[in-house]
Amino acid sequence: MRIEKCYFCSTSVYPGHGSAFVRNDAKVFRFCTSKCHKNFKMKRNPRKVRWTKAFRKAAGKEMIIDSTIDFEKRRNIPVRYDRELVQTTLKAMKRVGEIKKRRELAFWKHRMALSRDKHRAHRRKVLDAAKSSAVKQLLQPAESSKAREKIKVAPKTRSALVEGEGRSMGMDMD
Amino acid sequence: MGRLRRSRVHNARRDVHRAARTRVRTRDLDQIQMLDLDPKRRAELEAQPLDFEKPGLAQHYCVECAKYYETDVALNSHWRSKVHKRRCKQLKEPVYTIEESERAAGLGRAERKPTVVPAVMEDVVLAT
Repeated sequence: MRIEKCYFCSTSVYPGHGSAFVRNDAKVFRFCTSKCHKNFKMKRNPRKVRWTKAFRKAAGKEMIIDSTIDFEKRRNIPVRYDRELVQTTLKAMKRVGEIKKRRELAFWKHRMALSRDKHRAHRRKVLDAAKSSAVKQLLQPAESSKAREKIKVAPKTRSALVEGEGRSMGMDMD
Repeated sequence: MGRLRRSRVHNARRDVHRAARTRVRTRDLDQIQMLDLDPKRRAELEAQPLDFEKPGLAQHYCVECAKYYETDVALNSHWRSKVHKRRCKQLKEPVYTIEESERAAGLGRAERKPTVVPAVMEDVVLAT
């Protein structure tokens, strides 16, 4: 028995869950939920759908190159049960999980710091542009005094296009 | 006023559903990119034998879009169309596969161990 991965969102699909689609060239596409299956049927590219793992990896939002990721592998060679091996594996899994968590946090912090710097730079740029334009306006007082005056127009009380208590233009459905 | 039109209002959903049926499935992007676009296979697909079941006797086939056309004129106008150009653009970028979905989940593939290890061992034994 195997824990498969969803074709669309890459989450784990446990035995007895999800559904699978077998294409006529014998490729098996597994899906965790009907949501993923439907998105597949719509022929969407998971790399372009924001909520998938594939998107997050492709867009640099998660670690791609790390030694902690390389442990989990699809191994097609059966291993004879060995009590010692299982124990050491479990211990190693726990330890690797800890390290991975720490590295992911560091990665996330770095990513956020970068984006913060970017935001700051952008804001500064916008502010400078606004300031310089304001200075320009002060230096050259407005020549075009033909500024159009604003006239107040009473807001429409109701629109015929908005549906509401039988006044609407739309057909009644019942 | 009586009841007005509750049924027959799900046309769009019906068409989407019909387009997603397995019996109308055409070749997927990864199949086209990895197999069909190969020059040899492409030549094969473009010169298919007469098939009375296919549109236009399978003589006018667009490899990129995996679609049969009735005439050469229709095929040529398709090649000039936006649909075809969009498809070509999609085929240019690397295609999404099951392997990539597994890699995104952090599941790698174990590389095959060489199966001829014992032979090497024998050589070592002989050398010593």
